[in-house]
Amino acid sequence: MKTLNRCLIRLRNFVTDRRGDQRLREELEDYVAREAEANIQAGMSEEEARRQARLKLGSAEAIREQYHAEEEVLLLEYLAQDTRFSLRQMRRSPGFTLVVVLTMALGIAAATTMFTVVYSTLLRSLPYPQSERIVAIHDTRITGRSAGGLMTGPRFYDIEARNRSFSSLAIFDFDESTLIAGKKLPIYVRGARANAGFWDVFDTAPMLGRVFHARDDVPHAPLTVVLSYPGWQRLFGGDPKIIGEQVKLDQQTATIVGVMPRGFSALGDVDLWHAAQFTPKAWGNDRGDGLRDTNVFGRLRLGVTLAQAQADLDRIGEQLRKEYPSSDGAWRFTSETLREDRYGPVQSALVVLLIASALLLLIACINVANLLLSRATTRQREVALRQALGASGRRVAFQLLVESVLLALAGGGTGILLAFVLTRTAASSLSGILGQSGTIHMDGVVIGVALLISVTTGIVFGVVPVLEARKVQLHSALKQGDTRLGGSSGNWLRSVLVGVQVGLSLVLLVGASLLADSLWNLMKQPLGFEPEHLLTVRVALPWNTRPEAVRNFYNDVQQRIENLPGVEAAGQISSPPMTDFHVRGSFDADWLPQASNQPAISAENRNIAGNLLVAIGTPLLAGRAFSAADQVSTVPPVLVNEALVREFLPKGNPIGHHLLLDGQAHEIVGVVADVRGVSGAIAAEPGPAVYWPANANGGWHRYFLVRTKAPPEQVAQSIREQVYESDPQQSVGEIGTMDQLIGDAVAQPRLNAAVVASFAGVALLLACIGIYGVVSYLAAQRTQEIGVRMALGATRGDITRFFVRRAMVPAAIGLAAGTVVSRVSNRLLRSQLYGVQPDDLRLYLAVLLVLLVALLAATLGPAIRAGKREPMDALRTE
Amino acid sequence: MKTKKDVQPGTLALMVLKTLDVMGELHGYGIARRIEQISGDILFVNQGTLYPVLLRLEQEGAIASEWGPSEKNRRARFYRLTRAGRKLLETEKHDWEQKAAIIARFFEVKAEDLA
Repeated sequence: MKTLNRCLIRLRNFVTDRRGDQRLREELEDYVAREAEANIQAGMSEEEARRQARLKLGSAEAIREQYHAEEEVLLLEYLAQDTRFSLRQMRRSPGFTLVVVLTMALGIAAATTMFTVVYSTLLRSLPYPQSERIVAIHDTRITGRSAGGLMTGPRFYDIEARNRSFSSLAIFDFDESTLIAGKKLPIYVRGARANAGFWDVFDTAPMLGRVFHARDDVPHAPLTVVLSYPGWQRLFGGDPKIIGEQVKLDQQTATIVGVMPRGFSALGDVDLWHAAQFTPKAWGNDRGDGLRDTNVFGRLRLGVTLAQAQADLDRIGEQLRKEYPSSDGAWRFTSETLREDRYGPVQSALVVLLIASALLLLIACINVANLLLSRATTRQREVALRQALGASGRRVAFQLLVESVLLALAGGGTGILLAFVLTRTAASSLSGILGQSGTIHMDGVVIGVALLISVTTGIVFGVVPVLEARKVQLHSALKQGDTRLGGSSGNWLRSVLVGVQVGLSLVLLVGASLLADSLWNLMKQPLGFEPEHLLTVRVALPWNTRPEAVRNFYNDVQQRIENLPGVEAAGQISSPPMTDFHVRGSFDADWLPQASNQPAISAENRNIAGNLLVAIGTPLLAGRAFSAADQVSTVPPVLVNEALVREFLPKGNPIGHHLLLDGQAHEIVGVVADVRGVSGAIAAEPGPAVYWPANANGGWHRYFLVRTKAPPEQVAQSIREQVYESDPQQSVGEIGTMDQLIGDAVAQPRLNAAVVASFAGVALLLACIGIYGVVSYLAAQRTQEIGVRMALGATRGDITRFFVRRAMVPAAIGLAAGTVVSRVSNRLLRSQLYGVQPDDLRLYLAVLLVLLVALLAATLGPAIRAGKREPMDALRTE
Repeated sequence: MKTKKDVQPGTLALMVLKTLDVMGELHGYGIARRIEQISGDILFVNQGTLYPVLLRLEQEGAIASEWGPSEKNRRARFYRLTRAGRKLLETEKHDWEQKAAIIARFFEVKAEDLA
């Protein structure tokens, strides 16, 4: 109670700013007066009496401090006072403050931005209720290449009927359709066909209207459409009265029943979802290979773990392998959490980038510590003065700490602002899963963590100058001439800091060069086609269009495009390289032994038509391309790629041999070069691929690949007009360029290389600044010593060499240590590398050379300047 | 000149209370001198420690202070014991005597006493 009362009084004093200063001063004056009186009575002169009285009283500052300790809320009082003092100090040396704040800001901005990305993807819970219960279920080949985890419909329905683990299951695929609203022109939309279970799994309430229910998801029920927020904005300008509106979707009438809130998406950015109305029979007997395009997710029953669900899936998979050995024998189900499914592929890259940003932050902090240290040494006189006036060592240390925390906060604040801008840019410009709208954004947690990091670094790296300050010897610091002895205090610490900084820079530089080399290796791989001046035009007919109509439409558009001015060649393909598209087929071959239920060859299937090989620039290595007759043949011939020949017929001539499928023999009429990224991944080695005549093989959605001479935008517009003239009910999807697709395919490695390279560049710069500062400081500190040495016969060269040695020895030790750390830590990078080993000697040597040259250049400036001083000037400096 | 001892921390408050109890109203300088005098000039009272103690005792309500005229037309802050201060002094005195008695018994103890 008593303590509380005192606290209240103190708090009141603090708040009302009522200082006891006045009272204390009066008390002290009274004391001196009385003591002096006593002294006079003892026979002293008046002046001597007062002097003795003051001496006996001791340091007024110390008394005041003790008195205030009783009077007020101590910490708050000190804090306010030191903050004022520190701000004044910062204003007094704006250059120093600016450098420190900017350095801190760079480090904090880099780390905060990367942390935001990592937090948004790998840490923050996904935006669905109880998202940890959502599981992605993949269909995986036991041996050989899978189809990106995609499943066939019948196997989904088997899971749905037999599982004991999931409260609901979602199946959906992406489809592209043409939407006609009222009297408007047909618009191409990216949609997803989903079952009713989709909404139970992702369990998010619509913003307007409703989602579709089980009764909408049965065959022949009226078609229902739920719009995504971006789709609602793009297609209907965000019209709030859209619910109940009827539109034509692929020429069928559909009703818009709901709009989802902003930021909701399940997988990929789509304009709308519509009820799939799938039935187990919709796929016929297509259980094994063939077109795989359905994504499957499940919501775990309460209390069921992922491991239990996987065991359940294993059981079902085993049953299916026994029941359908020919189709399901090679497949099993695998599962992972939604987060793993979504961000697993980028996880290791993100962790690498986060570590790189942490290293940069560390380097920045070391630079700041070095700066603070230099300043603490030059401020030793000030510190000594304050101590002489009675300030306790603790009090001085606290003030220095407040100062560095303030600097850190200023740097941190600037850094967070910078990071805010960077994350906004990143959120809109990153490609792939990271760039999906609403994925990456800063929130209170990130800002809190960033501030915490700033303050912590402020305290940790502020301790360095504090330790320095506490060593201050009063009288030697007060005397100006500390310079005679070269004042070595803190120099070893400075050397260690420089060494660490140089070592860390080496780690970053090696990482950056490894990633850049990977990117270079990836980019210089032969693609198997010519990406320049190549337009990709998406056209998707309604899936139920009759084959003749499909053929006529595509033939007509093909001819119209070929006749456009500026077009060199045009062709059609079911999916161009660098797109995530999987159609695999299994075949027997007439030259290989045939075992029942075990087709010998598994290959990617692509349908082509028109003058595709010429348009895309893939060389025909043997045989011939498809003729017009092949396109209408009932047992069409095929083209195969080199990889298939290499793997299955290495010594023979494939032309004239046959691939066997469903009892029919398809003649191999030609061999084409391997094309990289057939099913999306540019880093994967090309596998076997088979090309079919598109018109003979069906296929209602295709890409036109158009090689142009004229500017692409102009040709793109003409193509849209031609398609409209050919069929006014049909929309044209995205028109892009092959260069864009390749750009997206190497986006992650490019991002890795760009981010780490810019970090490494900044690190190099900071290391140079650091070493420059240290040498300049040493030279200034030792001005007199230089004078003495020169007077004793040292040459300018000797002086320069002396300083270079002083700086380069710790740097060299740092480089050696950095090399060791680098060799260990670069194992983390392995998954991000392509065509380069993490311990590539040539890269290490190059990086060492770059660092040595840069550091030497930074050292030489101040070292030469030190050597150039006139000995007499140097000696006179006092 | 023999060296004087600083007052042990914690005991100064008690000395201040007792001095005020005996002397009535007194100013800060006077308190310090009286304590030194009572100790037989063995103790030295540092003003830096005295004023914070006075302030704390006042905040605790054990003493009160006010400006008043002092001798020779000078003004000074006078401290006096309050009722709560008197009570505090009683308890402190009791505590101290108890403590001193305990310590004294330890000094006087001999091996045979504990046999």
